[in-house]
Amino acid sequence: MAGKAGKQSRPRKAEKDEEEQPLQAVLVADSFNRRFFPISKDQPRALLPLANVSMIDYTLEFLTSTGVQETFVFCCWMSSKIKEHLQKSKWCRPTSPNVVHVITSDLYRSLGDVLRDVDAKALVRSDFLLVYGDVVSNIDVSQALQEHKQRRKMEKNVSVMTMIFKESPPGHKTRCEDDDIIVAMDGKSKRILHYQRAQALKKLHFPMNIFHSGSDEFEIRFDLLDCHISICSPQVAELFTDNFDYQTKNDFVRGLLVNEEILGNQIHMHVTKDGYGARVSNLLMYDTVSSDTIRRWIYPITPEANFADQEGQSCTHSRHNVYREPGVSLGHGSQMEENVLIGRNTVIGANCTISNTVIGANCVIGDNVTLDRAYIWNRVHIANDVKVKQSVICDNVEVKHGVVLNEQCVLAYNVVVGPDITLQEGTVLSMHHPDEEDDEDEDEFLSDDDVGYSKDKTKQKGSCSSYLIMCIDDDIMFPGLALNPDPESDSESEVSEGSHDLGSHPASPELDDVKVFQNEVHGTLQRGLDENISCDNLVLEINSLKYAYNISLKEVMQILIRVVLEFPFQQQGAQISTAQYSSHLLPVSLLKKWAPVFKNYVKRPQDQMDCLASMEEVFLERETHWAALVKVLMSVYQLEILEEEGIMRWFKQSSTTGKSQQLRRNQGLLKFIQWLEEAEESSEGDE
Amino acid sequence: MPGADKETDLSERIESFLSELKRCGSGAGSLRGSAETARETTALLRRITAQARWGNAGELMEIIRKEGRRMTAAQPSETTVGNMIRRVLKIIREEYARSRGSSEETDQQESLHKLLTSGGSSEDNFRQHFTHLKANVIEAINELLTELEGTTDNISMQALEHIHSNEVIMTIGRSRTVEAFLKDAARKRKFHVIVAECAPFCQGHEMATSLCKEDIETTVIPDAAIFAVMSRVNKVIIGTQTVLANGGLRAVNGTHTLALAAKHHSTPLIVCAPMFKLSPQVPDTPYNHTKLKSVDTILYIHILSKVNAHCPVFDYVPPELITLFISNIGGNAPSYIYRLMSELYHPEDHEL
Repeated sequence: MAGKAGKQSRPRKAEKDEEEQPLQAVLVADSFNRRFFPISKDQPRALLPLANVSMIDYTLEFLTSTGVQETFVFCCWMSSKIKEHLQKSKWCRPTSPNVVHVITSDLYRSLGDVLRDVDAKALVRSDFLLVYGDVVSNIDVSQALQEHKQRRKMEKNVSVMTMIFKESPPGHKTRCEDDDIIVAMDGKSKRILHYQRAQALKKLHFPMNIFHSGSDEFEIRFDLLDCHISICSPQVAELFTDNFDYQTKNDFVRGLLVNEEILGNQIHMHVTKDGYGARVSNLLMYDTVSSDTIRRWIYPITPEANFADQEGQSCTHSRHNVYREPGVSLGHGSQMEENVLIGRNTVIGANCTISNTVIGANCVIGDNVTLDRAYIWNRVHIANDVKVKQSVICDNVEVKHGVVLNEQCVLAYNVVVGPDITLQEGTVLSMHHPDEEDDEDEDEFLSDDDVGYSKDKTKQKGSCSSYLIMCIDDDIMFPGLALNPDPESDSESEVSEGSHDLGSHPASPELDDVKVFQNEVHGTLQRGLDENISCDNLVLEINSLKYAYNISLKEVMQILIRVVLEFPFQQQGAQISTAQYSSHLLPVSLLKKWAPVFKNYVKRPQDQMDCLASMEEVFLERETHWAALVKVLMSVYQLEILEEEGIMRWFKQSSTTGKSQQLRRNQGLLKFIQWLEEAEESSEGDE
Repeated sequence: MPGADKETDLSERIESFLSELKRCGSGAGSLRGSAETARETTALLRRITAQARWGNAGELMEIIRKEGRRMTAAQPSETTVGNMIRRVLKIIREEYARSRGSSEETDQQESLHKLLTSGGSSEDNFRQHFTHLKANVIEAINELLTELEGTTDNISMQALEHIHSNEVIMTIGRSRTVEAFLKDAARKRKFHVIVAECAPFCQGHEMATSLCKEDIETTVIPDAAIFAVMSRVNKVIIGTQTVLANGGLRAVNGTHTLALAAKHHSTPLIVCAPMFKLSPQVPDTPYNHTKLKSVDTILYIHILSKVNAHCPVFDYVPPELITLFISNIGGNAPSYIYRLMSELYHPEDHEL
């Protein structure tokens, strides 16, 4: 009976409301980086069309289909555009099951700022989903949500976040080098023990303590793809407020894991095998996700579903994944081979070959055009005999007769190219003058048209972000448009420096932290020496530095040793002799002064070994000063920082490299060891 | 204002129904059966009739048509929704005619003479206001809902007429109707069921488990073995997603193979389909009848981007391969479907 059915559904709903509050989500509609530069200069990334639908619509559709009832959209760069878009979309209709609030501020510089604002405004009441405005997914998170809730119930407020990963082995199409991660997890409780970006790292370091977590199942996984979807408890926002230095999710995760024993917070993960989840984090991912959408990997989010419910967007789907919106006209002899989406009112000339391509609305494409893996946005004019391969062509671009675009070209908004010009692989043309960082490019005019462009060769490495940034110096054509870098554009760039430059600097942010930390420690000690600050205060200062830079205890000690041992070099220059070195370091002055600092950090036998190992490392680098090692060891021994067992154990350790064996055969050292042995025997004898 | 509240409540319900349709749809691999979709649609239409503002039958039909177009557009492969809308439109026509006093019979018979004399569209006639129309229409929709509730039982009641002792029956995938049909027969008779698993969603496995629980002797075979096993089979009994106007089927992928194999071996093919699956659609290009799902299920890893993966869900089975339809009102030959169609739907409603 219908009546029965109606009644049944209502109490079920009421029950749900009693039991749990409506699910909320925080959507960050700003990437805080400039990987889409210069396209993102004219249009925020969240509004860029992916298969003719704005990316943010995919994200909102995903959130709505997982049952989110209230979404806070945070925007910064070009917030008015995003707001306008959302107000026109179906999400802001009164009947929408997902209430969307748009919150804008020019002050957001990172994810951290956004979450601090969430906390300040007390927006979230219970667990919420945290996503970026460029996540495309059809993953059902309800199971993960339930697991998260259960964990929270069992141990009050211990687990603060559940990250969602998709299983995808290396070589998977949606994996992008930029986002490669290594995760160490507890196999049973699914707790994350270690999380590291693996990009361009040759060596990986795992802190020892993660192996002592007391679990008998332990997994280190490289086959996971971070979907950038996380289930957070309200504490996450509070933690961001408490730790004002957290900028990105990466900072947050690493910070929590390092300080786990102090704060007692844990992060868990949920690995899904089916479903699709990817973040359009750069243009290569844009290519991949677009083609996946058209190949229906993200079912039920497919082009013909018209989930954004826009007028006139409904398209038909036919054989070989060819989608056509209404009003498409195709010239005689033109072929749409496979995986093609053509927007409304687009006119295509005769004898064109189109494959794996998305064409937006109101485009005009001439005769004999070949398009392969081209992403052509709205109102683009393409003349006859043009060839485009794996390129992005933004709104209002005019491509004149006979132009050839090779792989990975980008034509940003309003660019005019041609006629008869071949663009090399990876060319980026924009109406904006590139910012300072690209200033070193030598301007060369390749064609005698109005359109000239300059080129930046340094970036042409095979990494994902290798889309070159180039510019058009066409102040002749469009006076007043180019040449003054927009100060606002910084909002997209800011923070992200790190992530943006990853392609060119193989060093991971972690290494940088260590270096900065080392400099800070050096400064602290120097100041301590100059101003005669007490050791207790020094320890305090070093401890606070440790938290600021997320440095583990072991690393602190290693760095401390290194700083102290290199202190004379720093002061007197690297050329000082051994005698000078030891006289500078040893006398009561330095080592003794800082003995309490050492004692604070060197407590367990393991610490002693680490301490000795790092001493050895320092001296291995400076062969000429080996003689000083003995003296250092001696004084450290006398100051009771190290015990003789420790030294003996270190000495007997089978060393791996020839050089450290050589070090051990050093005359002075042998003597010292002998002396130690004797001293031990005699002390035993005394007893 | 209670009136406005009602309106927003109604449109909220419609929206949520639409989004649900868009997301899950039905057919292979979905959690909802089409019977449930049919019931939900009808219940929603009853709500629209009760809550929307309309003065006469013409207005009500216009409202229902408008919402109906949106519902069918939301999930074009789900024909049940459109069918139920047509049924309700037909009910409104009948109730209007009854209120006006003219008999249903004369209204239904579209004689050539009448077509010539009536001139313009009969829509003009729906403008009259009747106070009891609303109550009557709701009453009739309630009857329709009762009919929908009983369809599966009505079909399975006929099982004993078709399944005899020690027969070997083949089926494919999982159809709730066929499941009930076989279970009903199993209460009295012993027979053997062979289930084609219907990869990649493998609903056949579920079907086999469910049949086993009722002590039916069950064998699961891969889809590729259908032809090989067919020679042993006495009868093929399948379900379908839609019965098309020409008596053909749109059914789960693999059914065409099964039907061809049955034809080759002259094995009778029986289709269990409740009346609400009868759709006035006609097959055009076979491809338009398939719904393509995510290919994730068939390719566990992305291989190369050069490889194209397709995962169609439905097959078109031409009517000449089908022996008999069993619906809740009895058994019919495929050639008779057109007649049922004209009884169920008004010709003007074929296009919403």
